[in-house]
Amino acid sequence: MRYRLLALLVVISMIIAACGSGDEDTTTTAAAGGGDDGGGTAEVIDIDFWVAFSDEARLGFAEDRAAEFNTKHPEYNIEVTSFASYNDAFDAAVLAVDSGEPPGIIHFFEAATRQALDAVGADGNPIFKSVTEAIAGRSEILGEPVVLDSVVSAARDYYTVDGSFYSMPWNTSTTVMFNNMEILNAAGITEPPATWADVETACEAIMGLADGPSGCITWPNHSWFVEQSMGQQGELLANADNGRSGRATEVFLESDGMLAYLDWWKGLSDSGYYTYTGLQRDWDGTSNAYLAGEVAMLIYSSSDTTFFDENAEFDNQASFMPRNGDVDYVGNLIGGATIWMLDGMDTATEDGALAFMNFFSNPDNAADWHQLTGYVPITEDAVDLLEGEGWYDESPNSKVASDQLAAAQNTPASLGALLGNFVGIRDIITIAIEDILVNDLDVATRMAQANEEANKSLSEYEQLYGN
Amino acid sequence: MLIIGLVAAAILGPFYTWRNTDNPSASRFGIASAVAVAGAAVTPIAMGQCGFAAESTGVDHLFAYGLMAAGALLGLVALQALFDRADGKKRDTVAMTGEIRTGGYRMGWWVPWLLLSPTLIILLVFLYRPAVETFTLSTQLTRLGAPRSVDVCFSNFTEVLIDDPFKLVAYPLLAIAAIYGARFWVKRAAPGSLSRRGADLAAVGAMLSVFVALYAVFSPGGGGQVAYRPVYVNTVIISIGIVALGMVGGLAVAYLAFREIRGGTIYRTLLIWPYAISPAVAGVLFFMIFDPTAGVFTHVMDTWFGIDVPNYREHAVLAQGAIILASAWKILGYNILFYLAGLQTVPIDQIEAAVIDGASAWQRFTKIVLPALSPITFFLLVTNLTYAFFEVYATIDFMTKGAPAGKTSVAIYEIIRVGVNNGDLGRGAAQSVLLFIAVIGVTLWQFRTSGSRVSYGGA
Repeated sequence: MRYRLLALLVVISMIIAACGSGDEDTTTTAAAGGGDDGGGTAEVIDIDFWVAFSDEARLGFAEDRAAEFNTKHPEYNIEVTSFASYNDAFDAAVLAVDSGEPPGIIHFFEAATRQALDAVGADGNPIFKSVTEAIAGRSEILGEPVVLDSVVSAARDYYTVDGSFYSMPWNTSTTVMFNNMEILNAAGITEPPATWADVETACEAIMGLADGPSGCITWPNHSWFVEQSMGQQGELLANADNGRSGRATEVFLESDGMLAYLDWWKGLSDSGYYTYTGLQRDWDGTSNAYLAGEVAMLIYSSSDTTFFDENAEFDNQASFMPRNGDVDYVGNLIGGATIWMLDGMDTATEDGALAFMNFFSNPDNAADWHQLTGYVPITEDAVDLLEGEGWYDESPNSKVASDQLAAAQNTPASLGALLGNFVGIRDIITIAIEDILVNDLDVATRMAQANEEANKSLSEYEQLYGN
Repeated sequence: MLIIGLVAAAILGPFYTWRNTDNPSASRFGIASAVAVAGAAVTPIAMGQCGFAAESTGVDHLFAYGLMAAGALLGLVALQALFDRADGKKRDTVAMTGEIRTGGYRMGWWVPWLLLSPTLIILLVFLYRPAVETFTLSTQLTRLGAPRSVDVCFSNFTEVLIDDPFKLVAYPLLAIAAIYGARFWVKRAAPGSLSRRGADLAAVGAMLSVFVALYAVFSPGGGGQVAYRPVYVNTVIISIGIVALGMVGGLAVAYLAFREIRGGTIYRTLLIWPYAISPAVAGVLFFMIFDPTAGVFTHVMDTWFGIDVPNYREHAVLAQGAIILASAWKILGYNILFYLAGLQTVPIDQIEAAVIDGASAWQRFTKIVLPALSPITFFLLVTNLTYAFFEVYATIDFMTKGAPAGKTSVAIYEIIRVGVNNGDLGRGAAQSVLLFIAVIGVTLWQFRTSGSRVSYGGA
């Protein structure tokens, strides 16, 4: 019996030893394989690029650009990894920093800019590094011209925090309205409605049509549209100039502009003009309703302009997001995401990452990206290129977003808020709106409750991150 | 205030030992007293006595005392096991386990541990350590990537409860009193009498009073509290709906498919398929069926019958019904599988005897088949409830995202929304602990009530 046990122990230790050596073997093979792929004797530097897109077109664009860059700069290997959402990518990045294997660059959205600036690793140091600081005034890196100075002003103003760019703008859009001109014309409306009152007039006419659609207008119940309306009306969403002259410590969800917007929205819903799909952040349901002709108008992100141009089986015309005609127009804000660079890379790796980011948004690539999606061309050079090609004459809908952003005044209200715990606060806003629309609640009362919740959420965030 | 708790523990120790051990003695009382005090002191020491801090409320004290009592009792239960071993008192074990104990492993006490170690290590790393961390997180205000975290004592828990400590204790106690009262009445009343019928009714009512008590204990929101009562209500409605529909439907389909029919094997195989689908896919499928604009169901109802089906996501009852339907459909295959297996064990001779005695099909089903299936039913009740509690997130996320206005947001959906999507780790952890306690509570309750009525055939 004793011997049998001894034999067992011997076998176990042999298995453990085998596993150990097995590991070493795989590592060496992998390293050798990596060297062969590079096609040279020099060490290839891997840089992980985490992208929060998973659809074929957008992720494919990133993968193709990475492949081009790798061919152009064989000493680097940009490797694209896809994540289902911005939050997934961000959480993974924070954990990866703590475990010592962070990605090089990561794609992260505008609403969490404050959170990205505040995020620290286990050692207490910020996990991201300012792109402006890393570029340090160079006009080209590894032969790739720096395009940061050419970024269009709307994106520049939004993402400039404390006087410099922390991250490299990529996908930037604004809200525009898409109009089914066939239905509008049938109802005797020749121009897309510009103000809230125009929308109501148009809807009255459309719903009066004998063979009209089942609804008149829709848009996703997403807090971004609320923020857009605050920008249009010049209303701040948070104190400290929307969190741009200091840290925001208070939100204003009961402001006059907020109540006016939600009263208008609820009014449209009550009269059967606005179609609610019943889901928060329902991009798919609303765009399907528009494409199926069930509504005549859709307020949406300009990021899908090309998609609507290609898929609408009717005369699809883009126009500015309708505004409150009773107050002066201040400006719409941007939405979208930027590329953040993680801190702690050595100079060669960092230069590779910077070169790639500038290559990624060089005029050709930025123009392609715009044409593929409808996100605004991110640099002035790309705009020039597109104008030279005659692109805007060919597809005038693609110009609406840029024109709307150009019409905006540069005020804290129209820049949008930088806010801690913004994702949670957006949740509070959309739940309140759903409650108002579905359960027919009083706007002011429900928003007072939402305001209280949001301020509690923000003050807790400041307890953790504030000075 | 801490002292009161410790003194109570010092008294509780000897009392507990006096009631539960065969050989009470002064030395045992002394040891029990010490162990109880030590057990009670663990949580106040670990949490820095925060439950008794200056700004703490009555509810905080309640939590602190509750944890002290739990620590003391755990210590005493462990101690009692030691005393019993010293007394040579063996616990009743199933015959088979006894055989294993006396039969094998003459190589030393450590051999079973060695053989178990791979499993134990995995459990320790991937189950127990995260569980302990969840408890730690639940007492903090913290986020992923935050430079600091704040200890908030019990506030992640107290904010989902009503803020009156007396009601907080009284409601559950009333429910427990009702249960014991009803049980007492059932025992006293003669079988078949009118009084017994009343007692049976009272027993059902007492069981329902537990749900009512919990309803009263959770906060309706307002005044800085989190509105958790709606989440509790949604969880109860949707979980019970899923389990009821899934199990009744599963048994009904299994009973039909069990008969001798042509191509029965194919039917039986196909019926089990939905189980192989993930909850997310179930959510997408039912979304496609019931969607007001693109849905098959709404289209058919509209064009064939001219019925304008309302958007299920805008009506609480429809939304909850849709979630129950999708989730029950997904678990149906699993239930059918087990019931099909169970039906093969129903004793044929008893059925034949019943047929000869002139029992109707319904009588045969209720008096013979159902009792014979009771072990399976009991097992399915536990697994179905676990499924309804833990695995409906994806289905809900695809079908309603909690709409309308949170009416389909169940406990697990709320945990992921708060803890993962909003990054509020402390609250997410606290709500996980609540769900953990709920599952333990429900399972224990099932073992006590249904467990005693389960028939395992001959044994």
